[in-house]
Amino acid sequence: MRTLPHCSVVVVGGGLAGGLVARQLARRQISTVVLERGGDRHGGAESRLPTQRDELRWDVRTGLMQDAATETYTFRREATATARPMRRLAAFLPGTGVGGAGSHWGGQVFRWADYNLSLRSRFEQRYGPQAIPEDMPIRDWGVRYDELEPYHDLFEKLFGVSGQAGNLRGVIQPGGNPFEAPRQNPYPQAPLERTEAGQIFQDVVTREFGYRPFPSPAALSSGAYENPDGMRLGACQYCGHCERFICEANAKGTPDLLLYPWLARQPGFTLRTHSHVLAIEHDPASRRARGVRYLDLATGEELFQPADAVVLAAFTLTNTRLLLSGRLGQPYDPATATGAVGRNFCYQANSGIAVFMRDRWINPFLGAGCTGTIIDEFNDDNFDHAGLGFLGGGYIGVNVTGGRPIGARRLPPGTPRWGTAWKRANAEWYAHSFSIGVQGSCYPHRGNYLDLDPDYTDAFGQPLLRMTFDFRVNEEKLSAYCTGQAARIAKAMGATILGPAAPRTAPFDARFYQGTHVTGGTPMGADPATSVVSPRLQHWEVENLFVVGASVFPHNAGHNPTGPVAALALRLGDDLARYTAKPGRLS
Amino acid sequence: MLPGTVQPAAPSAASAGPADAAPVIYQSLGPNEAAFVERLVEVMCPADEFTPGGVACGLAVYIDRQLAGAFGRGERLYQRGPWRPGAPADGYQLPLTPERFFKLGLAATDEFCRQQHGRAFAALSSPEADALLQAVASGRAAHPAVALHTWFDELVYPLFEQACFADPIHGGNRDKVFWKMIGYPGLPAVNGLNIVRYRGKPFPGARAPQSMEDFG
Repeated sequence: MRTLPHCSVVVVGGGLAGGLVARQLARRQISTVVLERGGDRHGGAESRLPTQRDELRWDVRTGLMQDAATETYTFRREATATARPMRRLAAFLPGTGVGGAGSHWGGQVFRWADYNLSLRSRFEQRYGPQAIPEDMPIRDWGVRYDELEPYHDLFEKLFGVSGQAGNLRGVIQPGGNPFEAPRQNPYPQAPLERTEAGQIFQDVVTREFGYRPFPSPAALSSGAYENPDGMRLGACQYCGHCERFICEANAKGTPDLLLYPWLARQPGFTLRTHSHVLAIEHDPASRRARGVRYLDLATGEELFQPADAVVLAAFTLTNTRLLLSGRLGQPYDPATATGAVGRNFCYQANSGIAVFMRDRWINPFLGAGCTGTIIDEFNDDNFDHAGLGFLGGGYIGVNVTGGRPIGARRLPPGTPRWGTAWKRANAEWYAHSFSIGVQGSCYPHRGNYLDLDPDYTDAFGQPLLRMTFDFRVNEEKLSAYCTGQAARIAKAMGATILGPAAPRTAPFDARFYQGTHVTGGTPMGADPATSVVSPRLQHWEVENLFVVGASVFPHNAGHNPTGPVAALALRLGDDLARYTAKPGRLS
Repeated sequence: MLPGTVQPAAPSAASAGPADAAPVIYQSLGPNEAAFVERLVEVMCPADEFTPGGVACGLAVYIDRQLAGAFGRGERLYQRGPWRPGAPADGYQLPLTPERFFKLGLAATDEFCRQQHGRAFAALSSPEADALLQAVASGRAAHPAVALHTWFDELVYPLFEQACFADPIHGGNRDKVFWKMIGYPGLPAVNGLNIVRYRGKPFPGARAPQSMEDFG
């Protein structure tokens, strides 16, 4: 194995988190190497017209995502069961390539309600300690929102986020999300256009219920935009080929457009594509990471990249996997609830209800990945849970993203599955239907965790990661409640037909997409016994190892995770600049 | 036709669309298999006021190309052991490529059909074929070796929907007939003004959808 020239920081994963860490380092000219297993897809059929507009290839067949034949995950619902591999990745879709999943995301950028960072304290104060079930290890994250606020602000500016402020320096703003954490500045761009379905939702929840709907904050550019680094975005054209696609119009805020081309011009920065990381090499005696061993896919050669500090910024599940395979930290044991690596693995409890309105032209093809109109009245702890028997909640809203005809048609209950009657229903309802969706929180459960599978390996001969996960009573109750609220709203719309209100329930079903917002496995926290990294994302045992991404979340909220991921990554970049100047435990 | 005989697939070119269309060469399906698939798409997509019959819409060609191509060969499918049978919610767990599984299910359905009707599926009348597919799709058709319900739900039906609604470049949805049926405008490059102008109104582009080949 050949050893490469030393660098200050090596980053595993060329996605959103890794790119943001690298940006903060490059501004200070700290030598950084980012290792990305995939390639750069700009210039290929996936980012060019007309081939970009291929629903079958990029959406149905998930042509941009991680290839399960190379690496997948095994899963089971209880620790007593035998796991099976997800032979086809469907429930969630990890990205690969420069920009990671951020190259083909839908662009939803939330600031979670600030109490999420001290969730246990919040619940104990509001409902009493006994309200938190014993098997729900929620915790305070060890970071305050006011520490993260400048980084949320910076990320919104870097990615040109379009939205309507809801809480400007503590003053609630009309038309915004009144539950969002307070912000120092408005969004850098005006919100995207509202869809017809969004207008219907907005009118009904305002008029009938007095809720406060707001446009989904979007890293989709509502106008021409130049960010603080001089990187530019064009205006979104609402083409309907957004989430799961690479934007050919350069209108989507992505790491591959806004971060890596800028980084390529900075002295001391190196991006190595087709570099598949095999292991973090560390010296147990000195408790230091020496660097990263990886396979150069272009030559088949194993290489070693030594560095002063190692940053794990791969996909959520990969972060956990590399710590487990590298024997870094104590693996979690659900029997005793001891050990930290793999714990607090969470997903989301998403659900929906279909709405059919004969006299309204929904035109679902006029949309983008994040042209949503939503309410937060039933999210997280924005409502009183006394007597409800569960904790958490979800946002409720409509997000018409493109009406792509293989996957986004809706048919009334009872429609035959083929034949002339099936065609008639498609013809009648395609342009006149939409769904109200719920994105439900998922709190950790003692029995939900990650470890290495004993039987299955990937294309490189390394063990697959094993998920032990199911939706637990808390998710089922919150999903029933929030889906019921969505159904109340749907009924008030005066719809011609409503689909069934279908809350998320166990058992977890690996066949259907339920969102890629998996979190946890390397949770942050103040207690080294139950957390993998400190509140500054520094590994508790190996001081020069840092982990960033949704893998550090101790729980998952009813919002998309990218906002907090980005804020934590930018803060980590600044912390690493301090660390490389003066190594030691960061506080 | 005598019981047990099968209509060969040769005439498909004649029924497959415009007179000037190239003859269909199936790349995965043999004659009996092609006859089964052509019967299937004609039943699931009969010629009616919405579209021509399934063969003329290119649906059999789409399915054949998918089976012969990367999808049928198991692209993006993890195919390492150990192999463990699973419940439906565990997803696909067979050590078969989708092409092999498709053909296994096809043969099993034909076997079930012969037990019920004394004839191959391709030789059934439309009402008979429809009833048989209903039995398969609902789980009423049992076969000792193949879970026909799973086969239909997770392989055949998605291929049928894709054949109807994917871009015609993949072989189905010929002449964008299904896009016209539902009013999907296809692949316009810019809707920045349209999303405002046609919010809540009929969209003119829905009458003349554009596919990849129209683009430029």
